Amino acid sequence: MKRKTCQGMEKKKNKVLLIGWDAADWKIMDKLMANGLMPAMKSLVDNGVRGKLATLDPPLSPMLWTSMSTGVRPYRHGVIGFVEHDGKGGVRSVSSHYRKVKAFWNMLTMEGYKSNVIAWWPSNPVESINGCMVSNLFQQEKKGRETMERENWEIPEGTIYPESLKEQLMELRVHPHDITGNLVMPFVPQAVALDKKKDKRLTVISKFIAHATTVHAACTELMETQEWDLTAVYHDAIDHFSHGFMKFHPPMMPNRDKEEYELFKDVVIGAYVFHDMMLDRLLKMIDDDTTVIIVSDHGFHSDHLRPAHIPKVPSGPAIEHAPYGIFVAKGPGIKKGERIHGASVLDVTPTLLTLFDLPVGRDMDGKPLVNIFDHPKSVRYIDSWEKVDKPGGELVSVSEESLEATNEAALQQLVDLGYIDEMKLDDSNEDQQEYLTGIIKENQFYLAKSYISGGKHEDALEILLEIEDKTNPDFRFLIDIINSSIKTKRYGLAKEYLHFVRKNDIMSKAYMDTLEAKIALGLNDGETALRMLQSALKSNPDAIEILIELGRLFNSIRELKKARECFSKVIEKDPDNAHAYHGVGVSYLREESYENALDYFLNAVERMHHYPLAHFHIGETLALMNEHEAAISSFEVALTMNPDLPKIYRWLIDLHELINNTKAVEFYRDKLKTKIIDEKVIITGLPGPKLTSVIELLRSRGFIVEGDPDKINEIDSPLNNDILAGFKQRICYLPENLIQNLLSKYDYRIVIVNDDVETVSDYLNSKTKLRKSSYNPDLIDGLVKMDITARIWLGQQPNLDIFYINELEDDKNELLISFVKD
Amino acid sequence: MKKKQEPVFIKMNGKPFEVPPGGSLGVLALGNVGVRAWKKAKEKFEKKDVPGDGKEKK
Repeated sequence: MKRKTCQGMEKKKNKVLLIGWDAADWKIMDKLMANGLMPAMKSLVDNGVRGKLATLDPPLSPMLWTSMSTGVRPYRHGVIGFVEHDGKGGVRSVSSHYRKVKAFWNMLTMEGYKSNVIAWWPSNPVESINGCMVSNLFQQEKKGRETMERENWEIPEGTIYPESLKEQLMELRVHPHDITGNLVMPFVPQAVALDKKKDKRLTVISKFIAHATTVHAACTELMETQEWDLTAVYHDAIDHFSHGFMKFHPPMMPNRDKEEYELFKDVVIGAYVFHDMMLDRLLKMIDDDTTVIIVSDHGFHSDHLRPAHIPKVPSGPAIEHAPYGIFVAKGPGIKKGERIHGASVLDVTPTLLTLFDLPVGRDMDGKPLVNIFDHPKSVRYIDSWEKVDKPGGELVSVSEESLEATNEAALQQLVDLGYIDEMKLDDSNEDQQEYLTGIIKENQFYLAKSYISGGKHEDALEILLEIEDKTNPDFRFLIDIINSSIKTKRYGLAKEYLHFVRKNDIMSKAYMDTLEAKIALGLNDGETALRMLQSALKSNPDAIEILIELGRLFNSIRELKKARECFSKVIEKDPDNAHAYHGVGVSYLREESYENALDYFLNAVERMHHYPLAHFHIGETLALMNEHEAAISSFEVALTMNPDLPKIYRWLIDLHELINNTKAVEFYRDKLKTKIIDEKVIITGLPGPKLTSVIELLRSRGFIVEGDPDKINEIDSPLNNDILAGFKQRICYLPENLIQNLLSKYDYRIVIVNDDVETVSDYLNSKTKLRKSSYNPDLIDGLVKMDITARIWLGQQPNLDIFYINELEDDKNELLISFVKD
Repeated sequence: MKKKQEPVFIKMNGKPFEVPPGGSLGVLALGNVGVRAWKKAKEKFEKKDVPGDGKEKK
């Protein structure tokens, strides 16, 4: 098909079919594809690209699908949780009313493209877009809390746009009561053995089949009868089937009833196979010029990570969600048979816009997935789609009565899924007001989680402190308060809340010990941190979070083998844990085992692409391997993810200098100037022979280094003042024990000279005219403690630019010179 | 005695397929055409003189 551009030239029209399968997970699909049970999906994967789509925290579907359709995080798009206070003393299900920003269907409408949007969650009431919209309540057979019979099955207002399609689409709805035994048998082959009246699970399966069929029928009808540039369809059935029946999926979970397992073990497989059959039909309806994208908002644990119990807290079932959904794309100009890494639910809208050659909003949190293309793809940007003054579709008006009925139906659906409590929806319940207050609190909690997920700990903390109630403590709020306090360096607050948690025995001892260790780490108290983590690990030896923290601590204090042991245990339990791979990489980097370090860092970013520190470390490792061009690329990736870290700019300046790219050097110098006020270079380390050699080397190359390791005692106590106030030069030597008192008003580059304690002790003994090898336990203990404290503090400072030096060697010397020079 | 109803056929994988009144996942997976054909087959089945033994019904 052709589209006329404003210049009157004909341009090929780029059609896109976007399919959303809530909770679809590669672990299950890979097995089914290998066994020939998902041939349509396999054909897409073989002829397109596939990858994991990182979810957001909290992994709650209405928030995630709205992030998918807008490219921004929940704290910006406004859809928070499953239900909202309606402002009139009641609750209502999330709806289109809550979205504060434009969705891709609005953006396409503004640019004259036609869209079919079917059942997106949430999309009720529908919007008057250029095209057709069928809301997520179209397939719903409930009116209020009652189930409508097939014969009087009404369709609520606000479900279909344009209204003229109502009759045509209504006749395609399939009622759960229409679902026969024939249709249920592929999911439950022994359905006849069940007492259908007593066991409601067959009814539930019938409902899921009916809803999926209705959505698919509406989608195919619109694709066949309407002109479209984009068709976007959302199916919730895989998520619903998985929440209901994953506990019966093979292999059998411990303590499950064998008979039930035999009855329901095929349900989840049946759901995926049915979706593949529907996909096959969609693929047969499009031509080769149409791009197909399939996404899911999160995965679903199907193996040993399945939880034994669902926590009895709001949104408890979300514990079954896995952190990565799926991403598949196939079409003209898209790579074939390749994997892509680093995609997130935030990237879907920017990628769609890029496919239509439309600009991406600079204010979007996601990025276009340009790595799916088999050719360099140029991306256009605008400041914000919110500033584009063109009609993009308005919410259709719906009567209060109809809104109320659809709302009750939607709420009932959430009750059925276990996300909200049925009893508390009862108007006559005396606790109604308390419940409503709880709903508001819960949503505020999700908002805080969303801020945390976006790295905005201050905003999160403000909300959490507002909603927290010590007379009715909620362990989830308290955990996040303590963690966000640590992240914002409010250690006093963190201690206060941890004390409250311990006093009231609110969570497990292992968890409390882990939190205490984190606080201790923040305060550079390595001894307490180590003690707490080891204690926590004793009572919970498989806890991944504890092992990660312990590994990081060991890395900080250069117990590198012990660090690797911790991270390796994590990898054994959770082979996709990016932090564990990163941790092993750091241990190898510190050991100067660059090949190994690189391997592990690459593994980390393969599992979690949006990991600026890991990209930074890849760059650092490559630079140390003299792979300058590759290092530059990695630092540039890190920079796109975290443009505020001065140390990335410095590496880029140094590397471009080494390859004589003066233009780039100037560019990054200018950028760096905007990031820092004043800079100091600190040389530190144990006061041994290596440190002295490093200072001598710098002085011999013309640098003025202020301070002298032999005159440590002459430096004023820094505790109350700016420790560097008395230093006039840019490069200073500072003893390790004073490092943690550096004030944040300066920007620092730090050179750490590694030396072993025994050598330093001998060196100091010789200086004090003691016998060189005299054993002085107090001196050794003091040196060890000083070294550990300094390294723990350094490990907590993401903004410091650190250069570690073990030996003075020619190639290292040049890097050192490059690192310290202005 | 009423006249026996003609079965409903649908094209599946390029071949004609008789749509069972009890439905099949393959038919439902065809979307709009499948649902319409199934509804038609059901309607015809329900109008039959001999209503079947009901085993296909849930």
